[in-house]
Amino acid sequence: MLPREVGYARPSTLAEALEVLAATDGARALAGGQTLVNVMKARVASPDALVDLNGLDELKGIELERDGGLEIGPMTTYTEIVESAEARARPVLGEVCAQIADVQVRNRGTVGGNICANDPTNHLPPLLVALGARMTITGSGGERTVDADEFFLGVYMTAVGPDELLTKIAVPPGRRDGFASVTIGRDGTCIVSAAVSLDGGPRVAIGCVDAVPHRATGVEAKLNGNTSIEAARAAAAGLGATLDPPDDIHATADYRRHVAEVVVARAVVQAGARGDRR
Amino acid sequence: MTAVETSRRISVEVNGVTYERDVEARRLLIHFIRDDVDLTGSHIGCDTGNCGACSVILDGKLVKSCMLLAVQADGASIRTVEGLAEGGELSPLQQAFHTHHALQCGFCTPGMLISATALLERSPQPTDEEIRKGLQGNICRCTGYWNIIKAVKAASGQEVVE
Amino acid sequence: MSETAIHPDRVEIEAPAEQWKGQSVPRKEDGRLLQGQGVFVDDIKRHNMGFAHFVRSPYAHAVVKSVDVSTALAVPGVFGALTGDEVATLTDPFFQLATPPGNEIKDYALAVGRVRFEGDPVAVVVAESRELARDAAELVEVDYEPLAPISDARRALDSDAPVLHPDAGTNLVWESTYEWGSWEDAVSEADRIVKIPELHFDRFNSTPLECDGALVEYNQGTGQWTIYCNNQFPGFAAIMMGPAIRCGLDKLRFVTQDIGGGFGNKITSHPQLVAICLLARKLNRAIQWTEWRTEFHMTMSHGNERWFSETEVAVSNDGTLLGFRTKALDDAGAFTRYEPLGGVIWAQVTPGMYRWKNIRLDFTQVVTNKAPCSPNRGYSRMQHLWFTERVIDIVAGELELDPVEVRKRNYIRADEMPYTTPNGCVYDSGDYAGMLDVALGLIADDTIAARRAEAAATGRLLGIGIGSTLDSGTNNFGQSRLINPELQFSGNNEVATVKLDIFGEIVVTLGTTPQGQGHETVTSQVVADILGVDPDSVNVRVGHDSYWNSHAGFSGTYASQFAVTGLSAVKGAADNLARDIRALAAGVLGADSPDDILLEDGFAKRADNPEAALPFFAVGAIVNANNAVLSPEGREITLNQRYVYVPPFELPDIEKKYGNLTLTYATQVHVAVVEVDPETGSYEVVEYAAVDDCGTRINPQIVEGQVMGALAHGLGAATHETFTYDAEGNLLTPNFYDYHVPHAMDVPPLRTGAIESPSPFTPLGTKGMGEGGGAAIHAVCAALQDALKPLGKPIVRDSCNPPFRVFELIRDPAASREGLAVVDA
Repeated sequence: MLPREVGYARPSTLAEALEVLAATDGARALAGGQTLVNVMKARVASPDALVDLNGLDELKGIELERDGGLEIGPMTTYTEIVESAEARARPVLGEVCAQIADVQVRNRGTVGGNICANDPTNHLPPLLVALGARMTITGSGGERTVDADEFFLGVYMTAVGPDELLTKIAVPPGRRDGFASVTIGRDGTCIVSAAVSLDGGPRVAIGCVDAVPHRATGVEAKLNGNTSIEAARAAAAGLGATLDPPDDIHATADYRRHVAEVVVARAVVQAGARGDRR
Repeated sequence: MTAVETSRRISVEVNGVTYERDVEARRLLIHFIRDDVDLTGSHIGCDTGNCGACSVILDGKLVKSCMLLAVQADGASIRTVEGLAEGGELSPLQQAFHTHHALQCGFCTPGMLISATALLERSPQPTDEEIRKGLQGNICRCTGYWNIIKAVKAASGQEVVE
Repeated sequence: MSETAIHPDRVEIEAPAEQWKGQSVPRKEDGRLLQGQGVFVDDIKRHNMGFAHFVRSPYAHAVVKSVDVSTALAVPGVFGALTGDEVATLTDPFFQLATPPGNEIKDYALAVGRVRFEGDPVAVVVAESRELARDAAELVEVDYEPLAPISDARRALDSDAPVLHPDAGTNLVWESTYEWGSWEDAVSEADRIVKIPELHFDRFNSTPLECDGALVEYNQGTGQWTIYCNNQFPGFAAIMMGPAIRCGLDKLRFVTQDIGGGFGNKITSHPQLVAICLLARKLNRAIQWTEWRTEFHMTMSHGNERWFSETEVAVSNDGTLLGFRTKALDDAGAFTRYEPLGGVIWAQVTPGMYRWKNIRLDFTQVVTNKAPCSPNRGYSRMQHLWFTERVIDIVAGELELDPVEVRKRNYIRADEMPYTTPNGCVYDSGDYAGMLDVALGLIADDTIAARRAEAAATGRLLGIGIGSTLDSGTNNFGQSRLINPELQFSGNNEVATVKLDIFGEIVVTLGTTPQGQGHETVTSQVVADILGVDPDSVNVRVGHDSYWNSHAGFSGTYASQFAVTGLSAVKGAADNLARDIRALAAGVLGADSPDDILLEDGFAKRADNPEAALPFFAVGAIVNANNAVLSPEGREITLNQRYVYVPPFELPDIEKKYGNLTLTYATQVHVAVVEVDPETGSYEVVEYAAVDDCGTRINPQIVEGQVMGALAHGLGAATHETFTYDAEGNLLTPNFYDYHVPHAMDVPPLRTGAIESPSPFTPLGTKGMGEGGGAAIHAVCAALQDALKPLGKPIVRDSCNPPFRVFELIRDPAASREGLAVVDA
């Protein structure tokens, strides 16, 4: 519907943004707005002020590091990831971003916004957990780094504090990644998702089944390098019983338990199929 | 410190004309376009940013104007459906919609045209799959999309099966 | 992406060759719509208008102990408010169509004393901006005392069920038994009885992209309301609103121009319109209201949710269907705003497309704490036809017969048309078996076996399903007397005016309120043929305005009738105008008789001497500005014809529930091919064919557009769209985020075909066809059932099958088959 009254600030630098956040009660960062503006329209959350990050060039861009890792500015849009030559170093990033919502949303929605919103159905939280990403958070007190495993704290809650901003996402080098999901309509909202990374792993993260991405450590332990579908299914078997997913209009809890095993296996196969091709 | 304002004077260029208005910070861009600038061609079909009827091109990118605040468009350049026909002549895309019966009630049509325009500017010879993906963010309840896809394909100069 | 095949073999019209009938003339409507120059209701502005926002109940069922608007009113920029107490004083409850106990339901523009569904409005606030109205609405303090809700219609008649309307004393709205032929005879003739467990047609609607809305002005001096709105059946709105507001119907002027989709869902906005009318009068300013998407989902026009239980089908071993009996339970939601008409409207298609004669259906309609139901594309017939098609497939499956053969064996045959059904409805024309062959041909059904194997090789299950359906059009409103014998409705009508203006311009007005069906274009084609001009020369006035008497009691655009009622009114008026022109020209040109005058290229010409011709310019000028030259007979000619088309109906027999309820029956036969991923229950429609027959097609491209739109609606309803409530009566799909409608990536490759079986009952041989009849739902359900057959033959029992439900059928097929039995007769 329509938002409540709100203040608006348009800083030009990160320092200015942090200053306003710290000085203004009830201020929130406005990234792509593809979640926050909706939330404000529904009046489910009504920040007192918005600090628009869209002018902060220092938060944008993707850099390919010498070791093959990526440093991603949180204000990078999904479209920019999809179209980025650098991001091809880790192809799963562009592939997954291309599945998020639709063109309009992808042109404004940001990687940082996706993970800071931490809606349980978002694509990037489980993906970044599987990739073992590291987030840099900056506040008036300085910078700190948080591993993806510690970044996501609860529904809509992350390690970023009220006067802080996510300023960088570091993705380690690697390539053998997979992402599989069942969605509402083609390329729609996820019902269950699984992200798998075999390089430096295996790391398996399930989305949509808990408040935060679920590290399927049991599955990880059973994966022994064999990425055939039979081996993947064997590794995934029993995962469902360890989950306590929600029941909602789109799926029953039992369905999510079962499908989690299916999409994990498929993501494993996908990851294995990438081989060492460059 | 950067000012925090609950309202702001903004300057927005729409279809080549610059408009200056005082707006509340909370005013959605779509309402700015429809109510403050009186361009009622862009429509509102939902309240969760899902339907795409409000789609416009902002600084060269296709966006949903219901998911942006007007203040975010301060200094930006916007194209809406009213800017597609030049001198009253329907654009080839509009003409193709007409020929292929790609509209019925017309409510989704402005958003569809804008999304298709953005698609064709990015990808002048799109495949059917690319067209469908490019229009994924625009809901239509009248046509079932088949004729729209056909019209966009035809507008790109590619052959269509009748 | 979609292809069309035409099968013209059956077209046989004795009328002289017409140039524009059957041409896919590009639409007149497009120019303005493509340029964003349409006028939809939210586009209309008035100086100093107030923006209205409804305050709505968060509870599904509660007593409203108090409503305090004082804080809201104190905010600068807030112009005023309206509460339920005022409504109860200023208006009378809306007329109820039902007999007792349903007629005791008291329905007002705002909740009075009690709220009965989530979103039920308790107040309206008006302010100088949309945002402020929204803010002020939050300041209205409502003291609710929650009551237990009833959200499962199957429990609504339990002795301990909460009762929504104490005045009625029960949640029962209406019930009746329909019985024709004899079930006992069917049983004695049959070899087997197939018993089918509960089938469930889910609750959804067509979610037109534009929501309801109005801008209302009240003229204090004349007491005239002008209601700019997008209501698609203003005749009905007026009948409901006038008595409620206590004014004559002529004081309610409805003006519509462009409407962003209706599909039946914009018929029952009269409660909101009354609230806005009261505010326009009270606040002495124009009041603007546009419904939000969430409000639409929560409160507007849900389609009838219906259960069919204890179904028994009497059948011969060879698949001949002899009869069925079933119990239909219909959930009307909290208020009956067009209901219980749904309780009889299904009877337009009682036997479906089949020849069985012994039918018994017990119909029960109840209220629940959900959004009020009212017509949705395919209204009430779709539910019944879905049930019929499920029965056919289930019977075929259990008897191990080919569903194609069972259909062909039992379809009413083309040579039996016109066909009188067991309850006296007359199917005018059609070739069902022929259409099925066309549809199967379009998806190359002879390759299905190979494709099944191919799919299986990749771990997918392929299935093919048929959905055949009827779109009955042009209602005989006399069927309402089968619901309530006291109702004074019968027949149907529509109005058009066609005139030649002073300079010979042809101007048409319609009583209809199109929402994208191309009325301006199709009308111009019909008039062009009659007057001998081209469609560009026919000016069809855009939109509907009831002030100018171009409407009748049933005017509007709903129920698949424009091609019959609207176009027949147009034809009648144009024919009379043509007669006027000929008579005038005969006199002026000295011809012996008007029959000697031809109308061609905008001229009235003597057939024996075409050089002697009058342009329409001159014809118009003589009558309007130069009439002293005319003879006395000539002076009778007005060149301004208003015609009311009245279809040939009689009152049905109320005792026997027998009579013709609709004039025409368009047909659609669809075939869907799906591939199911058995690990997840996800599926894709990989191929689809749709064949339609709506009699004479004036504009084939527009007809096909309607077929496609109905198809997409059906696909959405079959795969995802559902208005589901939790036990507390909260709607779980109140917006497009959760209520997934198909987008461009969701629709399958499509092939279409058409045949034309003209209706013998209509002036142009046309049949209404806009609703479609839900064939896609029938086809997808059938295809899923076919695909899953190897996995224990689960039965598809729900109309909506998202992946989790399909997976459940795969996981536990026996559960779906519980209660299914085939016994010897």
